[in-house]
Amino acid sequence: MLISFNWLSQYLQLPGGVTPEQVAEKLKLSTVEVEKVERLGANLEKIVIGKVLKMEKHPNADKLLVCEVDIGQEKLQVVCGGSNVREEMLVALAKIGAKVRWHGEEELVELKSVAIRGVESQGMICASTEIGLCKMFPLKEEKEILDLSGRRLKIGAPLADALNLDDAILEIDNKSLSHRPDLWGHYGIAREVGALFKTKLKGYSVGKFKKGNDFDLRVKVAESKLCPRYMAVGIDGVTVGESPSWLKQWLLAVGLRPINNIVDITNYVMLDLGQPMHAFDAANLSSRQIIVRLAKDKEEFVTLDGENCKLDSSMLVIADEKQAVALAGVMGGEASGVSINTKTIIFESANFDAVSIRQTSMKLGLRTESSARFEKGLDPSLCELALAKAVELVLEICPDAKVVSNVVDEARWHLNRGIIELSMEFLQKKLGVDIKQKEVEEILKNLGFGLKAKKNILNVTVPSWRSGKDIVMAEDLVEEIARIYGFFNIPSQLPIFPIAPPEENKLRNLERRTAETLVKELGYTEVYNYSFVSTEQVKNLGDDLSKYIELDNPLSKEKPFLRRHLLPNLLENIKKNLESYDELKIFEIGKVFAAGETGVRAETNSDELLPRQDTWLETVFVNKKDNTPFWQARRAAETIFQSLNLEWQIASLDKVCVWEHPTRLAILSHNGKVVGVIHELNPLTANAFGIESRIGVLKINLSKLAEVMKEKIDVYKKVSVYPEMTRDVAFLVKKEISHVEIIKTLSHVDQLLKKVELFDVYAGDKLGIGKKSMAYHLIYCHQDRTLTTEEVNKAHDKVKTILKSKFGAEVRE
Amino acid sequence: MLEQFKKIKSSALSAIHLVKNLADLEVLENKLLGRKNGELTGLLKGLKDLSSEEKRIVGQAANDVKQAIESAWAEKKLELSRVEWVKSSEKESVDVTQSALPLSKCGHFHPITLVKNKLEDLFISMGFMVLDGPELESDYYNFTAVNIPANHPARDMQDTFYIKKHPNWLLRTQTSSVQVRAMQKYEAPMRAIVPGRCFRNESTDARHEHTLYQIEGVVIDHGINFSNMKAVLEEVVKNLYGAETKLRLRPKYYPFVEPGVNGEITCVLCAGKGCRVCKQSGWLEIFGAGLIHPNVLKEGGIDSKKYQGFAFGFGLDRLVMLKYGIDEIRVLKSGEMKFLEQF
Repeated sequence: MLISFNWLSQYLQLPGGVTPEQVAEKLKLSTVEVEKVERLGANLEKIVIGKVLKMEKHPNADKLLVCEVDIGQEKLQVVCGGSNVREEMLVALAKIGAKVRWHGEEELVELKSVAIRGVESQGMICASTEIGLCKMFPLKEEKEILDLSGRRLKIGAPLADALNLDDAILEIDNKSLSHRPDLWGHYGIAREVGALFKTKLKGYSVGKFKKGNDFDLRVKVAESKLCPRYMAVGIDGVTVGESPSWLKQWLLAVGLRPINNIVDITNYVMLDLGQPMHAFDAANLSSRQIIVRLAKDKEEFVTLDGENCKLDSSMLVIADEKQAVALAGVMGGEASGVSINTKTIIFESANFDAVSIRQTSMKLGLRTESSARFEKGLDPSLCELALAKAVELVLEICPDAKVVSNVVDEARWHLNRGIIELSMEFLQKKLGVDIKQKEVEEILKNLGFGLKAKKNILNVTVPSWRSGKDIVMAEDLVEEIARIYGFFNIPSQLPIFPIAPPEENKLRNLERRTAETLVKELGYTEVYNYSFVSTEQVKNLGDDLSKYIELDNPLSKEKPFLRRHLLPNLLENIKKNLESYDELKIFEIGKVFAAGETGVRAETNSDELLPRQDTWLETVFVNKKDNTPFWQARRAAETIFQSLNLEWQIASLDKVCVWEHPTRLAILSHNGKVVGVIHELNPLTANAFGIESRIGVLKINLSKLAEVMKEKIDVYKKVSVYPEMTRDVAFLVKKEISHVEIIKTLSHVDQLLKKVELFDVYAGDKLGIGKKSMAYHLIYCHQDRTLTTEEVNKAHDKVKTILKSKFGAEVRE
Repeated sequence: MLEQFKKIKSSALSAIHLVKNLADLEVLENKLLGRKNGELTGLLKGLKDLSSEEKRIVGQAANDVKQAIESAWAEKKLELSRVEWVKSSEKESVDVTQSALPLSKCGHFHPITLVKNKLEDLFISMGFMVLDGPELESDYYNFTAVNIPANHPARDMQDTFYIKKHPNWLLRTQTSSVQVRAMQKYEAPMRAIVPGRCFRNESTDARHEHTLYQIEGVVIDHGINFSNMKAVLEEVVKNLYGAETKLRLRPKYYPFVEPGVNGEITCVLCAGKGCRVCKQSGWLEIFGAGLIHPNVLKEGGIDSKKYQGFAFGFGLDRLVMLKYGIDEIRVLKSGEMKFLEQF
């Protein structure tokens, strides 16, 4: 919203010398976000009113013209590319040395005398964007120059003077106003500024008018909940035409394009008081009866700007006996609007339910200045003031106009205006600072609150414009006082807490420790991917789409599902980066969504459970030269569990998911619970994702692991003072014999055998198909004495015998 | 015999004096002190044939001679070693600027993780628990419980992803969704932060993302007030951005707090002078905060007459972008290795 400083100043006696920038700064620190203060006349030196006398085609450029421009004292030759330039046109002419923004860019550039394609140009005919006036004169098309024709302007006069540009415009962020319906007009902002500068707000004066009796205006409000107040009056004898320049000036200053005097008046009142109004052409209404009702399902309606809408039965309309003539609080209808021929108008000044307006405007995608205000919840008492102001203006601007009907006021509204009890003690307790009661009272009074003090307790009446949802309890008053008093004036005081340490978050610690190991020890890089996957990704993975949770309103139709695995997006990361890398090690830690599995409670007192959302770690490894990246995935698992000091078991798995390599697949368990999987990606799946290389995958359910985690307790074993003896054994076995089985068997062979360590595995054609060679270090030791060679030989022979008998091993001697 | 010792001493000392390198010194050592044929060794062996009286006299002298030779020899050896070391150390020179080979590659944390960990550690040191909550959340905990009832305009401010077939399920738009869950579980008094992923259904561009990270904080205890909130958050920003960083609070509306503020720090890039990043204002908005609304405490089962609290929320993506000067938010979730390898 744009606020004119001059407009505000009409309502306030600001202390001398207060600048618009100072007002903006105070508003920023205590009320709303002011994004910018723009001095309208700033940087307009050496820009004057000019008149185009002659124009000719540029000899060397099709799209340029050479104009002769009269600027009073002299005539200048100017090259111009404006699409709308014509002879006799009044323009803003920047002389050499003026500051302009090329093509509306931020930076100001000083204009120099140049030759454009061989023709000298002694200045520039400006577009509104080039001289910072685009808010006042928005561009209709890209190459348009500012057309000032039709105004009584002195040729050669400085532009700033000619257009009375001594105002400053405060640009306020509408979002920062969403909870303050009272600030959607200049008068409301003025009240706030008054409180900030401790200066009194002038009363809002409007003249009284006599009601007429030419016709009897009737309003039937069928939905008084959605329309708590509806005021209307008829005025005859209006002449629709251009507004007087003072009115146009105000509107232009705050970025509204003047349309005609009647519409301009309704807009002016809205910008002044914050109350949207509407004017109907009485001739276009089928009756003198206005009906406020719900639309019928599929009722058709054409808006002022010619848009066809299909309504539904939740939408409130203003109708005559035949049809809807306006979408209540959102936009008027094409059929009933004011036109050049209008003689009799009916002014509407009404109050509508905020939620209803919001929903209607959202459903139809029609967001207007009017709906933006109504949906914040306006003060119904404003209707009266706004109507009186509008009538006053019409009577002033159209000399023949007179009120010809009764003034309708269909009203069923009630405001909760308190009383709210506020004790000084409560205020102190909330803010941690003692503010003098006198100061508190002054702040509240300046904001329009009614006060009755009983010692340290204030009984506060809420003004109509702040009642409703805005101020309902003492905490709300605390905020009012705190922000006007100034947050910067409240001292800082650290709270005092007991020194008890916080409860540990096991999952979070696990996430951090695994990431630490992957990054620092294993050289993996962490990615953050989106939580969404596409139909195609699920299909490429070979997963079941029905197990996926779907968004009702996805941002892109492409990725409507919530991820069940981190893998698909990790594969896309691989695909994307593999062109520039021979090896990639990537991991992600994040939540996945499991349809059909239940998680935490959805609401306080309900049995409904949300879907389970575990945090998983998934790593992918690819090296273009490595055809068995399973080992790298396994190494990652080993290193992680070692660094966590956790025992873990691995086993092969029969149940295979489509994307898993069926014979390079294992499950990971800890403390008797399955917590993860190591596998190679099925090469066909990799191909589906556009990847030719083999990929090693590790997946750990960190939520599960955090739940069952039990740290390994390493009990001290006395170090043997007697020497160890190491013997190696190498043998050939069938490929199916697993290392785990061998270890398990050997661990029981002999008490002297303390440690079995795998150091080599080899499989090749030379050994015969289905065979592999394995080699182990065997470490023998006795706790109490030195071993004899005979003893070790005996134990070692036992090992060989068992290997032969149990696994059919061919031991190499 | 005494003469012999004298002679060997003078000849040995002058020989040692003349030696030019370690190899010659070794030869000389052998010649004099060698176990089998050493001149001095041989002479010393002869001592055993002397009478005890002679032994006493000659033995003393022999010992002095031996020591003199040995110490001259040791001195010479040290001297020659130093000379040789200077020569050989020159030969052993390496290019210290060259990397250790083969190269070992460390991985990289995501920048959001780096900033998140730092904040977590800070808050843990201040006695905060670190909590987590579901990303797919109920309408109740995301909105209603934090004082955003149905049809509240604030719901528009946060465009929401809803779940098909479950009209009351959504993707949380804010980590504030964990506030009431935490109150119900831990009750008052309580101090906790909630780092986590949030979602907004808005189109992405250089500054907007549909997937973002927040850190929510909640403090509930007896007599918690605005002044406490201001002080705690000042400590936080000073820890993050340096002791000279200034914090200012400005009013901002959030339905779950009253009063609500947003926190701005002196711009970290221009130190408050005004630059492109702070839009010439000298201030950067980095969090929202406020005293917890009594309605929210009530939903959490906490008596607002007995306990008060404050809550705050940082946008992690924004902190990361400020810290590393990143001007394109989407790059954070691009999975682009050339980007990630920089951290």
